Amino acid sequence: MTDALSNPGAVKAAPVTRPRRRRSRTMRRLFPYLLVAPAVIYLLGITLYPGLFAMWQSLYFVRFNNATFVGLENYADLMRDREFWQALWNTLVIGTISLTVQTVLALTLAYHAYRDPWVKGWRILFLMPMLFMPSAVAYLWQLAFNDGRVISDILMRAGVVDATIPFLSSVWLARLTLIVTDVWQWTPFLFIIFVAGLQSQDAEVEEAARLDGASWFQIFWNVSLPLLRPVIAVAVVLRGIDISTMFASVTIMTAGTPGGMTETISYFIYRTGFRMFNFGYASAASVVMLVLTIVIAQTVVKRAFRSGRA
Amino acid sequence: MARRSRSERLWLRYLILFTWAAFCLVPMLWFLSIGLRPRTEVITAEPIYWPTWSLDAWHMIWRDWPMRAYLINSLMAIAGSVVICVGLAIPAAYSLARYEYRGRDDIGFYILSTRMMAPAIVAIPIFFLFRNLGLLDTVWALMLVYAAINLSITTWIIRSYMLDIPKELEDAARTDGASDLTILWEIIIPACRPGIITAAVIAAIFAINEFLFTLLIASTPAAYTLSVALANFSGGTDGIIYNAIALVAFIAFLPVFLVVLMIQKHLSRGLTMGAVKG
Repeated sequence: MTDALSNPGAVKAAPVTRPRRRRSRTMRRLFPYLLVAPAVIYLLGITLYPGLFAMWQSLYFVRFNNATFVGLENYADLMRDREFWQALWNTLVIGTISLTVQTVLALTLAYHAYRDPWVKGWRILFLMPMLFMPSAVAYLWQLAFNDGRVISDILMRAGVVDATIPFLSSVWLARLTLIVTDVWQWTPFLFIIFVAGLQSQDAEVEEAARLDGASWFQIFWNVSLPLLRPVIAVAVVLRGIDISTMFASVTIMTAGTPGGMTETISYFIYRTGFRMFNFGYASAASVVMLVLTIVIAQTVVKRAFRSGRA
Repeated sequence: MARRSRSERLWLRYLILFTWAAFCLVPMLWFLSIGLRPRTEVITAEPIYWPTWSLDAWHMIWRDWPMRAYLINSLMAIAGSVVICVGLAIPAAYSLARYEYRGRDDIGFYILSTRMMAPAIVAIPIFFLFRNLGLLDTVWALMLVYAAINLSITTWIIRSYMLDIPKELEDAARTDGASDLTILWEIIIPACRPGIITAAVIAAIFAINEFLFTLLIASTPAAYTLSVALANFSGGTDGIIYNAIALVAFIAFLPVFLVVLMIQKHLSRGLTMGAVKG
């Protein structure tokens, strides 16, 4: 390290001897590894270490400071646990609907905004919800839907319903509140990326298609959208990852009600570990999710980022 | 004919854009009005849309809650984590962007893939790690966690900007006898400053927003950040103190908004970790 650290003046002044040369050649080969090593070691600390720890702990029944070895019993219980599968299913259902709605909305908005003379203004306006803390946004919609009954009141005034809607007592209404919250806050994320992707496309291609008599929508559908595909892939994958970890809004708004039908997998692990203090069991769930994450990372994410790399 | 369909399209365009703008803005303005009204007008039999304006919540958060401590904790954790993060990310990005070596792409992908890790999956081991280190309920633990969360993003953003720097710039310096680290320090870092700033801003935003780890690590105001402090604005049996929450939400929003305005051009590239160039 000292070789590379020394400034060029010092290197010039030092007598150049053979052993020094050789060491610097090894150094040269190791140098890129040394540069990347601190980051990798740091990241192993939050991935490899927790992974191994969770694997170890998942073999135990943990109560306070007592740990009893139970082998694979936690996993067997987990596979039979309806709450676990329900949480997995909820995450999938809420995530898929929310992601689809956001993608369609963001594409529609981006299509209408990117050629608009005020596109900069639209971007600033639309990105604002994204800049609030997710916990704050969860409280905002909690007040609007439930505690303040504002949504019900507006719908009643509009004559759509004639009584306060009990959003937390119906499965789909409760899920809807989580979806609206997520869509409100995170559609901007996709919108901003899609606008950038559309703007960076070669305007000449569009112009050529337009001169051929194609309508704007035809151009968008047949020219711009296929070109945008890698961008869409990257953005949707990133958003999908974040949706699958949905936690703050569940904790603050529904806490899983009604009957665990809005419990996401993150909330399941949190509840099992830190509310029921069943750490071994929560660790088993973590390990299952970790394996799932690695599989998805190796397939979907790798492909999206390879094609998306500009 | 063509002219008519064009104006129809414009009409549709603005209808869609203005509708979404309203959907974005109205809840925000309404929430701001929640922050600027007395508590008695927050939860009422009939929702109140035009309140009696008051600064009750403003006085309350400073008088009844350790708001100053929350702010300092947030700032310390964010600043510390960004420094750690960028400090580790710059050399890593330089290595990934500028050297050819065995395993480079795998290392790069490994760094990227940590972005996928759901906080809940690693929450329990991290919790025990900090408990064993005696760091629970400290700002230091938050700093370390935020830095870890953001390291993948910052590395990839900075790497993307480094790839754009023409190689000739370095080659010239190298023939002048500059060492690799001198080149990194004096040529590469100044040349990719926008990338580093973008990465730092995005890391800071993610740090402000972080909720799950903070909830587990911080158990007293000694380490509460704004994001988690919100969950504690409750008056016991009186329920949640929404006007204070709303006001704090905007206190955190304002600086973030101003900083994002400055890096607006780089935002899409930053959010996609360099994959989409705006």
